[in-house]
Formats: sequence, C-alpha cells, structure tokens
Amino acid sequence: MPPAILLKLRKFLKPDGDKNVIRIRRRRKLLGAFWTNLPLLIIALLAVGYLWMIAIPLPMLGQRTYIDENALQPGQVHTYWDWGDVHRADRYLEALEQLRDRNASSFEIADYIALEFRRAGLSADVQGFTLTSASKSRSGANAYAILSSPRASGTEAMVISASWLSRTGEGDGTLNLRGVSTVLSLAWFLKGYSLWAKDLIFVVTDGYLDGMQAWITAYHGVSQRNLQAEPLSLTSGVIWTALNVDYPGHSFSHVGVFFEGLDGRLPNQDLLNSFQRISTYTGGVPVLAYDHKDDWDGLNFPEWAPDAIKNNHQVKEYAHRARNVVRHVGYQARGRASGVHGLLHQFRIDAITLFAVPATGPHGFHAIGRVIESTLRTMNNLLERLHASFFFFLLVRPTTFMKIGSYLPSAILIGVALLFSGLREWVNAGWVLIADEAPAKSEKSGEPVPRGKWARRRRPVIRAIAIMAATHALGAIVFYLLSSAWYLNDATFAPLLAFSLPALLPLSAMLLPSEAPDHRAPLAIVLKSLNLCLTSTVISILSVLNFSLAAVMALVVGVPLYSASSSTSTRTRLLRYAAHDFLAFGWIVLLRGEVVQAVTNWELLGVWFAPFVCIVYAPLVLQSALVCILPSDSETTR
Amino acid sequence: MRLTLKHLLCLCLGIVASAALSEEFNEELDLRPLPDGKVAAWFSFSTLLKGATPRDTKTLGAEDESQLYTLFPLALGQILREYAVTELHLTLNAGKWNYDRWGYPDESGVGTGAELWAWMGENGPVSVDSRWRGLRNALAGLFCASLGSLDEQRTTSPVLTFQPEGFLPNRTASYQLRHATLPSEHVCTENLTPFLKLLPCKSLSGIASLLNPHMLLDADWHGLGVHVRYVEGAGVELRLASQAVLDPVRISREKRRDWSFSALFDRRIEQACPVARSSVIRVWLPQNETYAIIPSPTAMDSTYATYVVSEVEKPLDVAIRWPEEQNFEYPTAIKPQTHISVHRTLQGASQHAGRLALSVTNNHDTELQAGYLETLPWLLQFYLHTLHAEIDGVRRDDLVKLISYTPPLPHVQPALLQAIVTLPPKRTMQLTMDVVKPFLAYTEHPPDAQRGWDLPPAVFVPFASQNGSQAGSYPQQSAVCSTRMYTPVLLVDLATPDFSMPYNVIIMSCTLIALIFGMVFNLLTRRFVVVRVDEKAP
Repeated sequence: MPPAILLKLRKFLKPDGDKNVIRIRRRRKLLGAFWTNLPLLIIALLAVGYLWMIAIPLPMLGQRTYIDENALQPGQVHTYWDWGDVHRADRYLEALEQLRDRNASSFEIADYIALEFRRAGLSADVQGFTLTSASKSRSGANAYAILSSPRASGTEAMVISASWLSRTGEGDGTLNLRGVSTVLSLAWFLKGYSLWAKDLIFVVTDGYLDGMQAWITAYHGVSQRNLQAEPLSLTSGVIWTALNVDYPGHSFSHVGVFFEGLDGRLPNQDLLNSFQRISTYTGGVPVLAYDHKDDWDGLNFPEWAPDAIKNNHQVKEYAHRARNVVRHVGYQARGRASGVHGLLHQFRIDAITLFAVPATGPHGFHAIGRVIESTLRTMNNLLERLHASFFFFLLVRPTTFMKIGSYLPSAILIGVALLFSGLREWVNAGWVLIADEAPAKSEKSGEPVPRGKWARRRRPVIRAIAIMAATHALGAIVFYLLSSAWYLNDATFAPLLAFSLPALLPLSAMLLPSEAPDHRAPLAIVLKSLNLCLTSTVISILSVLNFSLAAVMALVVGVPLYSASSSTSTRTRLLRYAAHDFLAFGWIVLLRGEVVQAVTNWELLGVWFAPFVCIVYAPLVLQSALVCILPSDSETTR
Repeated sequence: MRLTLKHLLCLCLGIVASAALSEEFNEELDLRPLPDGKVAAWFSFSTLLKGATPRDTKTLGAEDESQLYTLFPLALGQILREYAVTELHLTLNAGKWNYDRWGYPDESGVGTGAELWAWMGENGPVSVDSRWRGLRNALAGLFCASLGSLDEQRTTSPVLTFQPEGFLPNRTASYQLRHATLPSEHVCTENLTPFLKLLPCKSLSGIASLLNPHMLLDADWHGLGVHVRYVEGAGVELRLASQAVLDPVRISREKRRDWSFSALFDRRIEQACPVARSSVIRVWLPQNETYAIIPSPTAMDSTYATYVVSEVEKPLDVAIRWPEEQNFEYPTAIKPQTHISVHRTLQGASQHAGRLALSVTNNHDTELQAGYLETLPWLLQFYLHTLHAEIDGVRRDDLVKLISYTPPLPHVQPALLQAIVTLPPKRTMQLTMDVVKPFLAYTEHPPDAQRGWDLPPAVFVPFASQNGSQAGSYPQQSAVCSTRMYTPVLLVDLATPDFSMPYNVIIMSCTLIALIFGMVFNLLTRRFVVVRVDEKAP
C-alpha cells in the first residue's frame, strides 16, 4: 500500500474517468488561465524587455574580446617603421600645410598627392567627381595609388585611406593633414618590402564622406544617379580589409576605434581586436572605443548625492559602458557611418577608422606608423576573408563586448508583447458577449466566467488594411516632401506645412459613423490589432538587421501603441490623437537638423533611415493615433 | 687497368650516343633595365636534338625506340615520347606582368600561375584527350605543380591565339591543340629545383649558376618556362626559359638602381658550363644617360653589350652604375611601353550577378587590331548578347568581330570566346559583358581556405590592321605579331555556405525535420472522435 500522499498525487495526475474528456477539460482550463492572465503577461513582457535594455551596460555582463582567426597572429612581427619615415611624414605635413594656407583647390591637392605617390614609385591617378543633391552641387578630386605587390597575382587588396576632412565634427572643416601625411609616408615605406601578399591601395579622398563614396562606387562599377564619378584607370583585386587613418590633432594620447558603417553594418570583430592588441602591445598606445577617454567622471551626479554612490566603481563602470552603448546606438540606429570606413562595409570590406584622439602627447607619427604597419602585416596574413569572429556585437568597452544573444532578446520581448496584445485584440474584435439578463451583468465582476452568450461578429479587415495602406502612402508623400528642395531650403514655414499634412488629414476619420457593435466589430479594434501585429513583425525582423534601430523603435512605440484606445469623450479622443500624432510626425518640426542630415544621407549614401522613418515608423504610430480618434462603442470593450 | 677499361666504355657509349643523335646546348642571358628602375632578366637554355622528329602517333601502341641522350633531359624526353607530343609549352609564373611599365616580355607567356598548351597529332591508337590527361599528370610529377587539376573543366582549344611556334610534321592527317591555365598555382622553390635539374650543368656553372632561389623568388615577377618544338630540318628543340623582374632599388640600402650580378642574384659566374656550345650574356644599355659598365664586354654597340662567358675573365660579375645619381628618382610619368593597354575588372558586389569590364587602349597613332581570347570557367557564365563595345560613351559594336564562341556547360566545360577588336588610334574601348555566378554543389567547393575562385587571364594579340603601318618604341617590338598579352587574373566570389559550422547546420535542420515529421505523422495516424464534455467540472 503506497502512502496516501502518493495516491493523491496519482489521482491528481491521472484522475478517473474518460481520459479524453479530462484532457479536453485540462486544455480548456489552461487556455482560460492564459486568457485571463494575458494582460498581466503582456505587461510583464514589456517590463522585462525595457529592464533588459537598461541592464545591457551592467558591469557584470559582457565578455572579453579575443582573436578568433588563427591566421591573424597580431603583433607577432618586428616593425621597421622608424624616424626616417617620421621625418618624411613631417616634410609631407609641411607641404600640405602650405597647400592649405594658400587655399589650394581640390584638384591641386589631389594632383600634388598623386605626384608624390608617383615619386614613391607607385602607379597613381586622380579621380574627379561631381555630386548633385537637391540643395547643392559640389566637385572634388580623389588621389589614389596602387602598389602591385611583388610576386602576388593582385587578386586581393588592402586599402589604406585618409580623407581630407577629419571625422571630428562630422566633417565640419577640421583637416586631417596628419592622416594624409601618414598615408603618403607609408606609401614610400611599404614599397620597400617584398613580403606583401596582397596589393596595397592608398586612397586620399576629398571632403569627408563624399570623396570615398565616389571612389568606392567607381571601384565596384556601381553607378549613382546624383554622382558623376570618373571611372578609375587603375584597379586592383577584390578589397578585403581597409584601414582609414584620421589624425587631426598635433599629437595624440589614445587611438579611438570607430567601426559603425552605413545602415548599421559592422566589420568583423577580429579586425577591431587585432588592432586593439597591436596598438596596445606593439605601439604602446592605449585604445579607446570612439573618443571616450577613461578619465571621464561619469554620470555627473548632483552635489548632494552621497559619495558612496558617486565614487562607486560599479556605478562609474556602468556609466562608461552606457556612454559607449548610447554612442553606438546613435550611429547604428540612424544608419550613419561613424567615419569614412563606414562606406566600405556595403561592398563586403571589413574596415575601421583609427582616430588619433587629439592631446598634447605623447604619441605622434612614430607610434601610428608602427601600429598601421603591424596591422597591415596582420591583415596580410589572411588566406580568406574575415569570417571567424562576430559580425553582430555591442562593444561596451574597448576589450569587452556583448554577444548577440545577450542583447537581442530585449527588443524581441517587446515585439512579443506587442504581438500578444495584437492577437488579443483580434480575438476581442471577433467575439461579442450578448448578455442574457440584467442581474448577470452585475455579477460579472465577482464571477470569473461571465454569464451570457458569446456571439461571432464580423471584422472589417479590408477597411482596416485600406486605412493602413493609406497611412503608409501618406508617409511616402511626407518623405517626398521632405526630400524636396522646398523643405531643405525653407527653415520656418516648410516644416510646419509638412507637419500639418499628416496631422490634419487623418482627422477626417472622426467623420466616420459609429456602428452597431453586434454585427460588426468597431474599426478601431481591428485596426489596433493589425497595427500591433505589423509593428511586432517589423521590430523582430529589424532586430537582426539593425539591432539599434529595432531597440529604439521598440523603446519609443512599445507603450504608446499598446495603450492606444478610443474613448467616448471627443476631447479625450482628440488629446490622445494629438499625442500619438506628435510622436509620429513631431520630429518634422522639432528636429529639422536631423531630418536634413538623414535626407542628405539617403540621397548621397543611400542610407535607409529617412525612408524607414517616413514610410514605416511614422505610419505605424499614425495608425495608433487613428485607433485613438476612431469612434468607439462602450459596448464593445469587454 | 680497370680504370682505363671504364674510360674506354664511356668513350664507346659517347660515340654511340653521338652517332645516334648529336645534341647542342646553348645558353643566353638578357638583362634589360626598365624605366621604373627595375631590371628584367631573361635566361634561355636551349638544347637541340639534331635530326630527331616527334613520335608518330601511329606507333603509340608499339615499343618505342630506345632513347639515349647526353644533354637532353631524359625525364622530359620520356614524357614527350610516351604521349607523342609534337609541341609543348609550360609556363609557371608568379606576379603580375606590368605591360605599361615593363613593355613586352622576352618570353610572351607571362600569365599568372600555370599555363600548359600542347599540339598533338590525331589518328593514333590512343586518343588526344587521354594523352593530354597523361601529359598533365606526368608534368605535375616532374615539376611539383598542381597541373593534374587542369582537367576538362579548364581545358580549351583556342587555335587562333596559340598557333604552333615550330613545325608540325606532315605525316598524320591533323593536329589538335589543348590549352589550360591554373591561375591559383603558386610558384616557388619546389618548382625551380626540378627545373634546374633538367639543365646539363644544373646550377653549378655557366649562366644557370645565377639562378639563386633566394634572390630569384624574391623578385617582383618571376617565371619558368619549358618550350618544346620541332624545327623542320634541324630537330627537336627544348628551351628552358626563366624570366624575372628584379628591383635593385628595393635591395639597395641607398635606394640606388645600380646593379650587379652579386647584388641581383647574390652569385657570380665562377666558371663556364663546359658542354655549352655558346654562352652569351647580353646587357641592354641605358639610353641618353651617363653610366658605367664593368667589366669591359666582349662586344658592344649603342644598344647592348655582349659578354661571351667562355672568353671573359672569371669570376664574372657584370655591373652597371649610374655614378651621377645619388638615389634613384622614379619617373613621375611613364609612357605605356606596349601598343595596347588592357585593364580587366569584375564589377558588382553581389553574389549572383556581375559585369566583366575590359578597357582596351590603343597607345598608337595608327589603327590597330587585336585578337581577344577569353576562356571563362563555368563559375562565371556570361551572356554573349550583352557583349558591347563603347568608345567615348558611344556604342560601337561594329568594332568587335566574333570569331568563335563555345558556351560553357555547367560542371563540364569552360566557355571560349575568340574575337577580333578594331582599335581606333589613341582611343580607349570599353568592352562589357554581363555575367552570372552559378550556385555550386557543396562537393564542388575546395577543402582549402575559401578565398574565392581565380579567373584565368584574357589574352590579347595586337597586330597592325591592313592599312596601317607601325613602328615600335622598343627595338624588339618590331615583331608585334603573335605577341600574346595576358591580363591580370581576377577573383570571383561565389555564394559559399559557412563551412565552419556544419554541426550547427546539421543539428538545426535535423530538429526541423523531426518536428515536421512528428506533426505530420501524428495527424496521419490519429483517429478523430466526438467527445462529450460536461461543462460542469466534476
């Protein structure tokens, strides 16, 4: 005889009776519990998602970077760059400063640089280009040279580039003279060795990003409507890796790594890690993520905060990491390149920018030359493209990163919450409770199972989809307006006019009559259901293409879309509509600088951020605004 | 007593051998300074089997006549007889020949990697293709090169571009050409050592003693060539050639372009090769410059100095100095050294389509024509109807005359395109054709590191058009005809699965299949019945 507790357990697990009936009953019970707790589950998913995002910079998370590709062998070579080469770089710097002082034109500068490449014994040429955007037109010239490596077949190549303008201030006019001098001196120096297995391409591009765009698209034979670039007379093989040198100051204390490319593309992490090892151990130069120095104090606590918190190591570490993550998201979400290297990722080239962080010392040409020489030797070792290490990562510190699995769920969880809530609305739209009698209604609050009869009703899906399509079309019109010269030239009235279109046009939805709820579900519920499902899909797909953009979108739209609902009071409806509409299109008025920048990036570099915001993000939020303003019936809300 | 007997025996054998076939060995070295400070070296070692003829294909089934050679390498002779090869050309090159700066090479076969072509007679008991396969494998063994992989997927027969350099004996009805290239072949010491073994003096004496692997394989460009041809009335000629472009500026500490044997090769000629009938070194002299050449040559004129190795004082260390130059200044503009310049690129960054673009520039004042040969492995399939020519942005398809086209057969044979292009003076023609990149079966990916697939070079043969005469800027350019020009090789990126994670792929696909199978099986075997459920819980 087994003990009583076991019998009880067995009875609970295997009750008597028809086992099919028991199974069906158990399933119904589970579904019922799931349905009643669904709102709680959605809120929990949202909360965990948001908390996860906040937790990403926590000091206990993340892991140390490592070299995955065995062929790289970073820092294992003796470097030959010495003071003679530094002297040559200094001489080039003097010549470039003279060119700067007499306001030489782009072509004069490019001719000079190409001549110096030729004097180094390389084949060099100048590429002219003209760029026409909606607002302005600009011409420039790039100089480039190809070192055909001895004995190599020239099927693969590495690029060493410098742009005329530094990335400081996103090309606001700070010159990258020392970067260009470094490239010129390197050309002389690297020619003296026969150990290169790949061709070396030296490129000095005009402007900040435009010069490189002209050069790299011409190299790959891609034509662009608004860019007239001369074809390149000298070409080499397939480019695998590239280093972009940015050295704007007189001296530098640290080298910062910039790696974000257009549309959120990232280079293989092995390139960053190899450079980090080489710079630290061969060059003796500490490496930073971006230009974020370690002596930064952190959160800028108010005076009255207790010292225990202000001086807490963990809190400071969190602040440092959060700063890197925010910077990263800022570049990646907007699809912006953090340097000239970012234009190369679209052609499967792993590229980074080495940014010599301006300081009074102690490093100069000697250190940067050695570091680049050794990094090129490491890249020279590659037998195949960089593929071993991570392409998806969050670099929270120069030597600490997070794998995709540790940050991706944050956005996905919010997407799942929106999906659940959308499906819940879908069920709500399809069923209506027809009450039997009055007393049962009052009992409803006490009883878990409401009395009455559930009846099917029709969902106006076609109309909801038509409205959604209309909002996306409206978004496309707004995008067309924003990318026209009219908006770009007029800073005062154009934004207001452009905003008024998507703000006022949807108000016509108020004119729609409210309908009898018994036969047909209110449009607002179906629209909300489809809107939430679409948003969830967009977030999930986006999270593996461009995590930062997906995370920002989840962060911004998660709660507003979830909580959107109509109301009986017209005033509430209007207020809610105004808030949602402002979230959808308010940036047209408030963030004009951002808009102009994003549209320029779209026209020149093909960055998808501007069309995405106009045609995907804003219409989704606008649909939610429509949910608020569409007439509802109190009967329909359960 | 025994010694004298042995000597006698050797003498007898020597007489017998020389009575059967008399042989002649000549060696030659050409050194040519190039405009960009480099030096082109051309070694040529030719052995002539007097009175010999290539083996008749009809005798292939029968026992071959015995082969007795004194100077001719037996290892190669056996291969030539075994497969009845009438004419054979094998080149193994490393680097990219820069026609614009270095001009025409002394030896025209400068395509990167390995290239093998042979003319063989038909109508024997053994087919040409099976002999071609045997020849590839035998040469692969002899030269330690991956010539065995020059299979049917790489073999073509471009008869217009690769005409025989000697004569084809007129006894069989017809001859066939087989040609294949392997651009990814890396040429190094393991190829040079068997090459040197074929020389009668190895690298011990004579000009061949300069072939020092340490310096030769460090050159900017180096190549080896084996050329066998039949010269009517003379015999079978074997020419072993080696070319290199050396960079004295890179080697010198002071960045001067002065060179000498000891600087370029780290060797001097200590003694002449005793069996060589002639052994000549020719140095092309710089024009319109102040220079010094030591030691004094045997003969000299305005273009070159000649040294006869057996006559000059040994050890011989020829050197040219530019005493007025502190260090070498690279010329800022070098005029293209050849009649035409060709650039070939593969455009487009996607993994399924692209565009092959060639720009062909006529550097001359007269109209030129050029034969154009493209052998594309089926990894890149181009559409003939997309082949277009443009000059200055104007469509000029009339300037391209197609001669023959063999379409590619996926997994079987490469495409072959032969055309003649007409180049107006001082103009650049843009030739483009759209290509698609096929999807490979996973067994077709090589087991090596995945760097992409090499595309063999295209070949251009410039020749003067009927109405235009021409004058070469270089002395040896007078014979433009039949000088083949090779474009650099290209790398093709095909869609490649991530082979580094086969287990992840296997595990994930197996899980998916198991799940789908489970669901389908469940639905298929389940019996559906009506169950009455009482609303009230018991």
